[in-house]
Amino acid sequence: MQLSWKDIPTVPTSNDMLDIVLNRTQRKTPTVIRPGFKITRIRAFYMRKVKFTAEGFAEKFNDIIGGFPNINDVHPFHRDLMDTLYEKNHYKVSLAAVSRAKTLIEQVARDYVRLLKFGQSLYQCKQLKRAALGRMATITKKLKDPFVYLEQVRQHLGRLPSIDPNTRTLLICGYPNVGKSSFLKCITKADVEVQPYAFTTKSLYVGHFDYKYLRFQAIDTPGILDRPTEEMNNIEMQSIYAIAHLRSCVLYFMDLSEQCGFSIEAQVKLFHSIKPLFANKSVMVVMNKSDIIKTEDLDEEKQELLKSLNTVPGVEIMHASCHEEDNVMAVRNQACEKLLTARIEQKLKGTARVNNVLNKIHVAQPQSRDDVDRSAFIPEAAKNLPKFDLNDPNRRRLARDIEADNGGAGVFNINLKDKYLLEDDDWKNDIMPEVLDGKNVYDFLDPDIAAKLQALEDEEERLEQEGFYDSDSEVEDVELDDIREKAEWIRNKHKKMIVDARNRKSLKNTAIMPRDQVKKSFGEMEEHMYNLGHDTDALRERVGMAAKSKSRELSGVDILRKNQGISKAKYNKRKAAANQTDRLNDGVSDGALRSQAERLHKVQRRERNRNARQGEGDRHATASIPKHLFSGKRGIGSSDRR
Amino acid sequence: MRVVQCHFCSSPVYPLHGIMFVRNDAKEFRFCRSKCHKAFKQRRNPRKLRWTKAFRKAAGKELVVDSTLTFAARRNVPVRYNRDLVATTLTAMSRIEEIRQKRERAFYKNRMRGNKEKKIAADRKLVAENPELLRMRDVEIRRKAERLAAREAAMEEEEEIASEDMMSEDEEMESESESESEQVKQKVLLKNKRKTRA
Repeated sequence: MQLSWKDIPTVPTSNDMLDIVLNRTQRKTPTVIRPGFKITRIRAFYMRKVKFTAEGFAEKFNDIIGGFPNINDVHPFHRDLMDTLYEKNHYKVSLAAVSRAKTLIEQVARDYVRLLKFGQSLYQCKQLKRAALGRMATITKKLKDPFVYLEQVRQHLGRLPSIDPNTRTLLICGYPNVGKSSFLKCITKADVEVQPYAFTTKSLYVGHFDYKYLRFQAIDTPGILDRPTEEMNNIEMQSIYAIAHLRSCVLYFMDLSEQCGFSIEAQVKLFHSIKPLFANKSVMVVMNKSDIIKTEDLDEEKQELLKSLNTVPGVEIMHASCHEEDNVMAVRNQACEKLLTARIEQKLKGTARVNNVLNKIHVAQPQSRDDVDRSAFIPEAAKNLPKFDLNDPNRRRLARDIEADNGGAGVFNINLKDKYLLEDDDWKNDIMPEVLDGKNVYDFLDPDIAAKLQALEDEEERLEQEGFYDSDSEVEDVELDDIREKAEWIRNKHKKMIVDARNRKSLKNTAIMPRDQVKKSFGEMEEHMYNLGHDTDALRERVGMAAKSKSRELSGVDILRKNQGISKAKYNKRKAAANQTDRLNDGVSDGALRSQAERLHKVQRRERNRNARQGEGDRHATASIPKHLFSGKRGIGSSDRR
Repeated sequence: MRVVQCHFCSSPVYPLHGIMFVRNDAKEFRFCRSKCHKAFKQRRNPRKLRWTKAFRKAAGKELVVDSTLTFAARRNVPVRYNRDLVATTLTAMSRIEEIRQKRERAFYKNRMRGNKEKKIAADRKLVAENPELLRMRDVEIRRKAERLAAREAAMEEEEEIASEDMMSEDEEMESESESESEQVKQKVLLKNKRKTRA
């Protein structure tokens, strides 16, 4: 539940409200319109203005209605307080007026938008808009008084002390001028005005303090006069409501010195008259100003009067002096104690709450399931052992004694293996091998290993008899050896050829000579031919003849040509390399076949040319950066495809 | 002290070797060397790396199902020390290892059985497909033989000359035929060649 209303938005005056909303409309909607525009556009323009203005008003009014608390939803204490301070009906009527204005404005907007739909001209539409906004303005102007009132309420609400009705509270009340405010000032840091005249405090004041690490609030109330509640004024009513509604410890302050201007009789009378409000509350009566006079100093008549205060159950009387700060803390602590015990009692009274806790608590207690005795087992030998006694000469000898006999710690180590339980005592000090040939001995340690090994040996024997381990006899064959050798040679040769070809092809920073320009000597050719397994004798014979006729050395190409019967003059003229093939005439036996081939070629092209289709002979430049290869995100993986 | 298995490559990890990783569920991972540890940290699958035991076993390259492999096991029941039992165990361990190695050899042989035939077939095919290369080989062999013969002849010649030098008679030198002097030239050439080669 909300306890303070410090953030209610400000309520502007009705004129300001008008300015705000209309200004906003002007700023946030289009302003330029011309008669030449389409009529639908003009209508939309003005409809938008009307709707926007209505929305602006509705929004503002909603803020106001939502910001103020609903008087029926708040705590009864606050409700009564607000009633006395602001007059409940007035408050409700004001808010209702705002709410009604909102609906009215929405209605106006709806009506005029409907009319605007049928506007015929710019002028007509404009007049309709003016009328709509005018009516909205009239409605808002009528809210002048509610707005002024609500603004005042807002300011007052914001300054109200935030009183929590449910927390631990000390409530200070009594006649005016008896020292209530000075007490509050003494126990809290609240800066309350203390003046030597009645009704210095005109509203509720709150101060906070800690007691036993708990936060308490102390509320200072205005003074009360002893008269019927109907006759009380607003200031007194605040005190009455605080006493009535807050679950608190009430401190009733009295002034025995009568310096406040009210007699002791009157103060006692007031106590009795507001007594009904103290039901279910812890009450303390504090005799203030004990520095001036005390109860003992009063005459008997007055003491009798004071005793009548005790007739109310649970009332305690204490003395204090705020002036000398005497006994003030004791009063405060006593009051807090009383309040705390009262609150705890109240909590315990609600059985539902206690039951809720009890339901959650379960203390498990073991139940005996049968009559079998399951007490701890102590071996007989242990039971019969004589109690160990250090002074007994015949006591058991411990390992520690053995150690001490042999020179003590650091000199002698007791043998821990002594207590081993083995079949043979000689084995106790054996050292067990842990690893053998990279295997853990303990992994193989198995009581029935002998049997298992025997089974393995049997299996092994059987396998041997079955010939599992027999190896195929190696058949050595001369022919096979020969083939293997040849294959090996061929493989090596292949590798060599590949490497040679690669070396030949790699540029190694030299220019490539055209093949017909490269001179190869006859010797090289002969060597090559010889290596390939050709007989070169016939070749050499011819060369020998040629060498005799001409002094010039012949190249391999010359000799080839000579063999093919091409004269030097002929190939010089054609300037074609002898090893270049004639693509035009290859595979064509004679001229007739050649011309037939050409005709076929033409026929084949005819259809394609007729359609002006692109052929393989057409010049074509591919895109330098083909889209499909260069667009899109690159995934992981290779970028070869680009 | 135990010899444990490498979690990644299954090789034995001796005490004071390798590194151990303990995951937050208390599972221990022991590694024989940083190679295995790194591979594990990179979340490599040992079944996919050819150098691990796991791969070799999965790919049928190792003896997996065998009675010799059933002897070693971690037992949850402790066995009390018994001198005789340990003695039999030690002898049994070496015997088991021996049998295991024998079987592994047999397994390997069985695995490699068809390879020889395959290789011979491939060789035959290669030889049948490349007669021209074989011709080149013949030439090469012939040349080699010629060269060898020439060298031998030269060596003999040299010996003869040496013996003649011992005589150191000028008259005999003159009486040598021209052909012989040519052969000496050839010998010098051969010598030069050898030098250049070295």
